[in-house]
Amino acid sequence: MAADEPWRVNPIGLLDQIAETALDDDYYVVRTGRYSRSRQLNTIVSGFVLTVFALLVTIAAVQTRTDRPATELERQTLIDDIEARQQSLTTREDAARKLRAEVTDLRSSVSSVDPDHDLLRLLTSDVPAAGEGVVIKVDEGDEQVTGGRITDDDLQLLVNGLWYAGAEAIAINGNRLGALSSIRTAGGAITVNFRSIGPPYEVTAIGDTETLRQRFTENAAGRYWESREAQSGVSFSVVGSSDLEVAATPRERLTVKHAKVLEEDE
Amino acid sequence: MIPVLGLVVGIVAGLLLQPTVPAGLQPYLPIAIVAALDAVVGAARALGERRFNDRVFVISFISNVLLASFMVFLGDQLGVGSQLSTGVVVVLGIRIFANAAAIRRRIFHA
Repeated sequence: MAADEPWRVNPIGLLDQIAETALDDDYYVVRTGRYSRSRQLNTIVSGFVLTVFALLVTIAAVQTRTDRPATELERQTLIDDIEARQQSLTTREDAARKLRAEVTDLRSSVSSVDPDHDLLRLLTSDVPAAGEGVVIKVDEGDEQVTGGRITDDDLQLLVNGLWYAGAEAIAINGNRLGALSSIRTAGGAITVNFRSIGPPYEVTAIGDTETLRQRFTENAAGRYWESREAQSGVSFSVVGSSDLEVAATPRERLTVKHAKVLEEDE
Repeated sequence: MIPVLGLVVGIVAGLLLQPTVPAGLQPYLPIAIVAALDAVVGAARALGERRFNDRVFVISFISNVLLASFMVFLGDQLGVGSQLSTGVVVVLGIRIFANAAAIRRRIFHA
């Protein structure tokens, strides 16, 4: 093939091949007979093809030129649209800020007039609390020993014991327990209010220090923890303090979405 | 004479009539023009090399335009319209440049 087609210069790659064979092969075929005379440009057929070509180019050029204002208009409309929406976004953000400020104002005015409201917020752990109480520090012992790890059950028992002993507010490693809080194991760590915590655990309980200490050590939870300490090497200490603080429960753990107030008959 | 007349007639007709291309055919017009340009430049080169054949010219013109449009159409159906038209433009562009370079070499001997 290469021998009788000397214009082929062994193409290297695809693009080179395209460049080498740029002229259609048909032009190199020498024809005889009927088509041997059609070797000039000055014919009706090529004139017609060139007419079509010129027509195509002109149509495309004219079309592009007439379409341009429309494209420009469309672009301008889009830009206007964006600006209008940005404007409305700013307005709404302003409104939201104003409303938020209003809510804060109203809330503070409510709590200043209604003492029951403050008490309720304290009770539902919606506000930080301070007072005397006990701090119970527990830490894991040797992991090899059975029961050397502290589980969510252990902490639940501890907290229940404290509630029973008269605690009024409890926090584990700074996570205040509210009405909707849970203590559970998730993926090897213990989570409180959906936040992971790790040992050592520090349980802060606010209440009468002496009552708490006494009633906790005497009840089932206290006895359980004492036996844990003796058997599994878990460290456990109860320290009283006259000045303790616990934070508020995070807002997302105090949000009630489905429960509704049922009117009571008084 | 006839080819020049054809070009003039085409341009004048396009300018006077200003026909609008149907929206469905609009994506194919630019590719069709590039394909047609390839056929025209190829014909010019063949003319310079005294190999011109009006039959080959007509066939290559029509087949180029139809094939290029069909490839864009196919690409649109497959969701790769822009990539396929890029490929068509690259190949035709290389051919146009190679043919134009051959014409230039013949005219200026450089």
